[in-house]
Amino acid sequence: MKSTAVPTVFIIDDDRGMRQAIHDLVESIGLRAESFATGEEFLGTKHIGRPSCLVLDVRLPQMSGLDFQRRLAKSGLRIPIIFVTAHGDIPMSVKALKSGAVEFLTKPFRDQDLLDAIQQALERDDIAQKEQAEVADLQKRHQALTLREREVMTLVVSGRLNKQIASEIGTSEATVKVHRGNVMHKMQAASVVDLVRMADKLKLSPAK
Amino acid sequence: MANDDVQKTLADLSRDLQESKARLEEAQRVAHVGHWEWDLETDVVVWSDETYRIFGFNPQERPMDLATVRAMVHEEDRERLYQGVDEDLLAGVRPAAEFRIVRPSGEVRTVYSLTSDRWSSSPGDAKRDASGRPYKLFGTIQDITERKRTEEALKQSYFYLSEGQRLGHMGSWAFNDSGHYWSEELYRIYGLDPKNGAPTVEQYLALIDPQDRASMAETIKRMQEERRGFDQIERIIRPDGQLRYVRAVAVPVVEQGVFKGFVGTTMDVTEHQLLTEELRRERAYLTEAQSLAHVGSWAANFATMQSFHRSDETYRIHGLDPREGPTPLERFWATLHPEDEPVVRATIENAVRTGTDYDIREYRICRAEDGQIRFLRTIGHRNPVGEIGEYVGITMDITEVKRAEEERERLRQLEADLAHINRVNMMGELAATLAHEIKQPIAASITSANACLKWLARDPPDLDRARAAALRIEQDGNRAADVINRLRSFYKKGTPPERGIVDLKELIREMTALLKKETVRHSIKIHSDLNEDMPNVLADRVQLQQVFMNLMLNAIEAMKDGGGKLTITSRRTPEGQLIVSIEDTGVGLPAGNTERIFDAFHSTKPQGTGMGLAITRSIVEAHGGRVWATVNQEAGATFHFTLPARAEADA
Repeated sequence: MKSTAVPTVFIIDDDRGMRQAIHDLVESIGLRAESFATGEEFLGTKHIGRPSCLVLDVRLPQMSGLDFQRRLAKSGLRIPIIFVTAHGDIPMSVKALKSGAVEFLTKPFRDQDLLDAIQQALERDDIAQKEQAEVADLQKRHQALTLREREVMTLVVSGRLNKQIASEIGTSEATVKVHRGNVMHKMQAASVVDLVRMADKLKLSPAK
Repeated sequence: MANDDVQKTLADLSRDLQESKARLEEAQRVAHVGHWEWDLETDVVVWSDETYRIFGFNPQERPMDLATVRAMVHEEDRERLYQGVDEDLLAGVRPAAEFRIVRPSGEVRTVYSLTSDRWSSSPGDAKRDASGRPYKLFGTIQDITERKRTEEALKQSYFYLSEGQRLGHMGSWAFNDSGHYWSEELYRIYGLDPKNGAPTVEQYLALIDPQDRASMAETIKRMQEERRGFDQIERIIRPDGQLRYVRAVAVPVVEQGVFKGFVGTTMDVTEHQLLTEELRRERAYLTEAQSLAHVGSWAANFATMQSFHRSDETYRIHGLDPREGPTPLERFWATLHPEDEPVVRATIENAVRTGTDYDIREYRICRAEDGQIRFLRTIGHRNPVGEIGEYVGITMDITEVKRAEEERERLRQLEADLAHINRVNMMGELAATLAHEIKQPIAASITSANACLKWLARDPPDLDRARAAALRIEQDGNRAADVINRLRSFYKKGTPPERGIVDLKELIREMTALLKKETVRHSIKIHSDLNEDMPNVLADRVQLQQVFMNLMLNAIEAMKDGGGKLTITSRRTPEGQLIVSIEDTGVGLPAGNTERIFDAFHSTKPQGTGMGLAITRSIVEAHGGRVWATVNQEAGATFHFTLPARAEADA
């Protein structure tokens, strides 16, 4: 599945001039831009479903950019972040990058550096979005399985043979084969290896 | 026969008479008493043998008459003697007199002459004339020279004794069956009148201070019952209310094994007692003071290694017990730290050799009691009247002082570091804020320029968007300039928001108080010599404080290594300007252009920010004044600034 929506760059900077300049630069290369003076404003808008990234000023009036990054991660909103700052130091940038920031730029920055970072962030987000969509699809399929089928799936991806599964769940090998067929079909798995990959993405805990 | 008998009887009588006469003469000789007869009609005088001897003659050596006798009487006594005799005779009193005579050898003797009453005092006596005056006088004369001398000597010794008692505040007493005797001084000691006689035991006890009365009563009781002497000090209260201390000593008198009573002395020891108490107190204070100050005193001879005196504290300082008593000097020396011992010994030996004082300002010992290392200082003063090597001195434990000093120095350093860090931090903060303020619009305009270029590079170019970007570049450029202008205009001429009437004298007092700690630490004296009629000025009080703070801190900084004097003066110019000068005696100004020191970021000090004087100039100029610096002739620099003294005109 390929996303067709126009990628959006969100900008949060309390300095109006800076905000406008970045906004304009982003638009000048044909991307969508949305800018906010505070993090609160940003949280008040919908911005899900399309590749996006966030250009975030480290020094914000109410909450520092690093704190905002933490808050976003906590709320499950995963969006690649590019930090910009007028006076960043090394410990601060290390901290930001460790927490998953794409880039840490010091103002004034070269436009290409920012645009490259945005490109990279959007790609990362695209992949992440796709991944997220795939997992959501898999979850849907997994939820369509019966309880017995889910049980069988777990045992299959744990490497058990049909005979073993039959004895473990107290049924015949033939019945196991039927369940197994249903699982492969419902999950749309081409092979056991494929099923294992799916289980991995679903973070199913293997049988003991 | 009868004649014979008569003859015999006469002979017997004559013999008896001779014998009686001889006996009388002998008696007179032994007693040194002679007799005399004086015929008042003829003035013939008849003497017995002894009388001749008394006058220095051989018995019956020559006849006597009044004139001769008279001439022999000591000329100082003569008139008194004969006038007295005449008066007595007229008054019908038997003359008796003591007078001196001069023997032919020139020797002076004292004699006592007594006229017999049988010959002189019975009226109607045949030997009297019509007026009742006797014709003849008979009397005895006695040589009392020896007795007189003894008497004089006795009198003298009694005088000495009583004078001695008086001088020594010592009285004596005796107590026996026949009564109770008190010497004069004893009465004086107790403040009693000798006329009333010695007090009874009850009266005596009443004189004793109530605190000592019971014990004294007990002592007297024991003295009487057990015949035991005593020696004790008691307090008495004289009738006039004065409290005195007396020491009474009693000794039983036993003659040939028989108890005869008591004799004793009583001494007024008030002064002595008070002095003793005072001394005891002083000693206690001294000991206490030494212990508090950790200072011990001593006296010793380092040549003979003899010790004469060591205060308790001296023992304690070395970790020795003062109760140990005499301790050899070497035990003290043994506590010396091995590393310091050679120096201490050498210093003292050298002082002894050269006969000079010494002061070992710091050395270590390992305290005897616990081996702890302590820092001591010892000062020895050669005893100029003593023998070679004799020193008196003090030794003090300076460990705590040293620690406190180190701690103080550490704190001072810390404080200085902190102040420096603070200042650097503040400037760093300021610089960071400035940087941020300026960087923001610059970064924005660069980004806008990039965007502008991108709009122009489009095919076709988006000129509207490019124009918009260019406009933003202009705006951000102005914004950056504004930041800088705002900073500059912060102290620039204009209308400062907080202008009011400021009392400069009061402000200077405040700043002096505020910088007190700083000035005390660097031994700097602040002296202000302000124009009495110094007018108030219209100014921003906080900014003026900053001006004084900057200039005074600079002055202090310039003097912090050697101390000095900071002088603040003020005067008015004829043009109505007020000139304030802040003068220091410090390191002065760098040679060359003194104007440059007011430029921003121009610092001559290693930890300076280069902002102090620049800010000062901004403020002063914003107030319509001027600031400049001059180099002092002697030492240091003076900073002057003017302020228009127009407050009064405006007010």
